[in-house]
Amino acid sequence: MSTPDAPLVEVEGATRRFGSFTAVDNVSMRVERGEIVGLLGANGAGKTTLIKMVLGLIAPTGGTLRLFGREPSRQTRRQLGYVAQGLGLYADLTVRENLAFVAEAFGRPRPSELPGPLRGTEDRLVGEIGWGLQRQLAFVAALGHGPKLLVLDEPTSGVDPLARARLWDTVHEQADSGTGVLVTTHYMQEAQQCDRLVLMSRGRQVAAGTEKDIIGPTTAVEVRTDAWARAFDALIDAGLPATLAGRHVRVADTALPRVGEALERAGLRAEVRQVPATLEERMTSIDRAA
Amino acid sequence: MRAMIFKEFRELRRDRRTVAMLIVLPLVLLVGFGYAANFNVSHLKTDVVGPQAQKVAAALHQPFDVEKVAPGQGAPQARERLRDDKADVVVVTGSGKGGAGTVAYIDGSNLFAAQKATGALAGAGGQVEAKVLFNPDLKTSWIMVPALIGLILTFIGTIITSIGMVRERQSGTLEQLAVMPFKPSDVIIGKIAPYFLLAALDMIVVTVLGTLLFGVPFQGNAGVFAVGGALFLFVVLGVGVLISTVSQTQGQAIQLAMMTVMPQIIFSGMFFPLASMAAGVRWIGYLLPLTYFNMISQGIMLRGASAASLWLPLLLLTAMAVVVFSAAVLRFRRDLAPSRPSTGRATAAPPQAAEAGAR
Repeated sequence: MSTPDAPLVEVEGATRRFGSFTAVDNVSMRVERGEIVGLLGANGAGKTTLIKMVLGLIAPTGGTLRLFGREPSRQTRRQLGYVAQGLGLYADLTVRENLAFVAEAFGRPRPSELPGPLRGTEDRLVGEIGWGLQRQLAFVAALGHGPKLLVLDEPTSGVDPLARARLWDTVHEQADSGTGVLVTTHYMQEAQQCDRLVLMSRGRQVAAGTEKDIIGPTTAVEVRTDAWARAFDALIDAGLPATLAGRHVRVADTALPRVGEALERAGLRAEVRQVPATLEERMTSIDRAA
Repeated sequence: MRAMIFKEFRELRRDRRTVAMLIVLPLVLLVGFGYAANFNVSHLKTDVVGPQAQKVAAALHQPFDVEKVAPGQGAPQARERLRDDKADVVVVTGSGKGGAGTVAYIDGSNLFAAQKATGALAGAGGQVEAKVLFNPDLKTSWIMVPALIGLILTFIGTIITSIGMVRERQSGTLEQLAVMPFKPSDVIIGKIAPYFLLAALDMIVVTVLGTLLFGVPFQGNAGVFAVGGALFLFVVLGVGVLISTVSQTQGQAIQLAMMTVMPQIIFSGMFFPLASMAAGVRWIGYLLPLTYFNMISQGIMLRGASAASLWLPLLLLTAMAVVVFSAAVLRFRRDLAPSRPSTGRATAAPPQAAEAGAR
């Protein structure tokens, strides 16, 4: 079926245009077995279009795209598990009926037992159970046929932190058993759970690698002062990209003397030091530069 | 309030389907009811047969349009001509002096033509005996039930099917189906088969109830009726699927479906006889599938028309079914398994013959 040593996903220079608009522009990436690759970017960055190209839902206008060493096809879909943003469950069918349909579609036996939180919901209509449970059900449906590649589009949006942690435990379990995972997310905490990241901005790939690779030597300036609110206002007024981190102010991608000068002009005394940038700060600066 | 009114107009301006409905529907209704709504039949296709056919034919005048004169034929041929919808009236002349014993056989399945014929013959002083066949009491329900079967199938096939298909797209499950190892044909057949079966069941229920409740006869061959119904269903289901492929919401699907159903109600000859419509709009009726299904259902149920005499509507429905259903399947298939645009392909991956066949 698949080429044993080939990457699960191999994208080379993939491009997708819609008329004059280029949604994905010359993106290259790969997902290996047991690896969690995160696609990161703001809304409209091209993440979902890229995912749909991987799934074979949208045809690329340029470049090549391979799944398990071959072109996406009905055969490669047998080895895919997909959790869409909208989940793709039938609200008018019960939990059991949804799972039975998916199992039959993949030619697998119906699951005999449901995982913990879903137990007892078997005969309830999917539209009547909570969003968090629906997400878990979508995961169970996507994993039922033992896919080699799991594709997750914003898998935890609208889910409470506990359920989110539980879903990520499932993702890690899958990766540990050799399944490759391609996941899009907005959440930095989730991005940090990925083995590698691909950052996208306006359809283009602007950075790729591990979190450490992406942050690299980039630093931020941390400002500690009791008058943190005034300091924040002063830095914003000075046109600096200040953000609040608790009661500290952080300024990404800016030299320490500039921050000091802005505070001095506002008549503020503060402890100012250079610290390693966070992934979010690095992303913001990359996105701004792009 | 002013802001609200402007906002509403701005939204409307961009909602092309609603604007189309606001403009097109009144036009369809105006043209339809203005030119098509006419119960008045001014011409009756008339055959004259029997020993004095020439003489009687020469004496007949409007609304009787004599199209065939056959002195050698008699009552059995007259019934055949009416059954096969070749004539509205067949006058069988008697051999008696002054045309005594002359009988005019009238096709009662063509209600307004039959009413016109009986009225005209009564006005002629009762020299000719009028015999209405296929609907002797000229009951409206006998005409309406066969036509209603087609209308019900149109509603189910077009509106319910398009809503059902769009619901799948709206809820995001169509995308999920597209990444499952289904062939596009599996999805399409799986989606359409329940509607086809339900519509077929409806067709049986309405036909049986129509005959039981209203005493509508079923004179012809049930097999030919079933074939006509199935062909018609393929057309309306195809229209439903086509509508779903260009609709993002169920509201849009209903709008478009209404735009296809409304003309069929007005122009198919269901209420207003096609022959009475102005020539400028009559051609619309000949483009609509319901027109041909009505010919088949009325022909088989009321007149016992044979498959041979219904070859034209059956053939036209077959052609429509092939064209519309194929277009629907191709468009739906494109949603499920997009083909790669031909331009801009940078590097071609090696072909996988077995896989390509499976796609």
